Amino acid sequence: MSININRPCGTFDRNYFQAKEIYRTPLRKVLLAILIAGIYLLPFFTGDYGISILTVICAFSVGMLGLQIITGYCGQISIGHAAFMGIGMYTVAILQKHFGLSFWACLPMAGLVPMCIGMVFGIPALRMKGLYLAFATLAAHFVIVYMISNWRSVTNGTDGMWMKRPGPFLGIDFTADRNYYLLVLTVTILMIYLATNLARTKMGRAFVAVRDNDIAAEVMGINIAMTKIWAFGIGCFFAGISGALGGAYYEYVNVEWFGLDDSIWYLGFLVVGGFGSIFGAIAGATVWKVMDEFSTLVTPLAETFLGGAAFYASAAFSLIFYSLIIIVFLVFEPRGIAHRWEIVKRSYRLHPFPY
Amino acid sequence: MEETIKSVVLGLCSGGIYALLAVSYVVIYKSTRVFPFSQAAVLIIGAYIMWYCLIPWNLPIWLGFILTCMGGAILGILVERAFMRPLVGQPILAPIVVTLCLMLLLRGIGILLGKGDIQGFGESFLPVGAWKIGFLHLPKIQVYGFILCSILIVALMLFYEKTRAGLGMRVVHEDHVVAQNLGINVKRIFQNSWIISCIIAAVAGMLLGNIQGVGLALDVNGLIAIAAVLFGGLESFTGAIVAGLAIGILQMLTIQYIAPLLPGETTMMIPFVFLLLILFIKPYGLFGLVKIERL
Repeated sequence: MSININRPCGTFDRNYFQAKEIYRTPLRKVLLAILIAGIYLLPFFTGDYGISILTVICAFSVGMLGLQIITGYCGQISIGHAAFMGIGMYTVAILQKHFGLSFWACLPMAGLVPMCIGMVFGIPALRMKGLYLAFATLAAHFVIVYMISNWRSVTNGTDGMWMKRPGPFLGIDFTADRNYYLLVLTVTILMIYLATNLARTKMGRAFVAVRDNDIAAEVMGINIAMTKIWAFGIGCFFAGISGALGGAYYEYVNVEWFGLDDSIWYLGFLVVGGFGSIFGAIAGATVWKVMDEFSTLVTPLAETFLGGAAFYASAAFSLIFYSLIIIVFLVFEPRGIAHRWEIVKRSYRLHPFPY
Repeated sequence: MEETIKSVVLGLCSGGIYALLAVSYVVIYKSTRVFPFSQAAVLIIGAYIMWYCLIPWNLPIWLGFILTCMGGAILGILVERAFMRPLVGQPILAPIVVTLCLMLLLRGIGILLGKGDIQGFGESFLPVGAWKIGFLHLPKIQVYGFILCSILIVALMLFYEKTRAGLGMRVVHEDHVVAQNLGINVKRIFQNSWIISCIIAAVAGMLLGNIQGVGLALDVNGLIAIAAVLFGGLESFTGAIVAGLAIGILQMLTIQYIAPLLPGETTMMIPFVFLLLILFIKPYGLFGLVKIERL
């Protein structure tokens, strides 16, 4: 059994303690600390533009982690992940508008509500797997988007809803972008911690067992149906939290933000990042959002080349460009950036000798 | 009662296209074991090819029809050769992601082709007007579309049943390894399946574009047809045809009885609710194969 399928060849665990370790060497602990400190200090050096990108990357990383749990750990396919992210956003917006709750009270709810709904839509997993579950989540996507855009009295329909950022906490004012980024980053790191440790628990190992061979897992005494449903629930919990963080950053939610294409990009950029590792999820989210920025930068170019009214060109560009990237990754590097990163680390480790 | 009969008859007519689309999914699924989500977007491409032939290039209708079919065939070859061939034998996730991404890729090409606008054929290329039979009011577009769909489906079935090539394809439907051992070129069969399916989807897109206007919204029909495929069973042509017609009827009944009660696009949502119900109650559909797996 291997939880981290991206580990390079020649790296063995010699006992259970090694298998459970997060930091395989003390150097990695130091490097991780430096990395976290660096990310915390980053907004003090980048401008507002950099902070906005970083915030969005952090928020989407959480959602991508959720999909990593569903797809990467448990091997179930979800084509409705963006819709669950949307439920998280709308949960916060609705609770703030109709019940006047603060963001702090809404944040756990933003995770729990999509979790419950996701577990309901995961019930088809009781009887089937693979492709059929993809259909179920596809249908879930459309039903959820229909509900949100038509339950006007609660969700304000297609006009979208306003959201409030969290109030001051310990004297920190989160309406400032930089402070809000630090909050999002903290929550993201907390969620990464949760996801990392989930893979080391009994449930996480059950997920991996179901992914690798569900019949063998059943023989080993794992309740497959409940495991799959829990994977859906936990994945949707992450998606909801990600939605709440992202929606509160824009202080606005709209149902158009989570179309079917967003759900597909979630799955596709998870492939680009790499299945089955935390790093893969974060890399996928980062690539996705950097691409987004790139395509907005390219839009004026497309307009000059294709004439004034070429607003459609940027939409077409992002659709074609993203899908080609994902397909190229699937064909040439199905294990994603995470695997490439392992190769880089390996060549560093083996430096004087080629492999 | 009268209204119900009307809805059922109209539903049968529009269900012809769903049946055709469902068949286009089944053709690929049966032979390659890959579910081609991308066929939903081939609709858009087919509709735009026909639109380009008829409006900007001013070609006659029969030539437009042939060119649309050829466009579909070329698209099928390209898609199979470039994207699906390298993924043969990969775990199930890879083809699903690739076909989903292909759907968006073709959608992007559709945006470029149509310059982001919804185009109309101006004048429909099928006869307009309606027949009145008793209290029934049958639009000619729908009826001719239904007839064209039936001809295509019957031709396809005859191809499968009567020709040597069709026999080879049926062997591949049963088992890839056995077919390979019998000297059948399985890769060629995969390619042929994609060609057939893309031609069918392009024709369906053309017909739908004639009714609904040529635009990006056409792919919703393809997604609704997924409900039909699942209802009929993923491996069954009979199931696809029956369920396609059933989905058409369901949609018309929805317009008649459910749409007044609920806001928004119920005709789009109800088939997906139906899909969820099928998945909860009878996941392998009416005629699908129930898979028994062993360790």
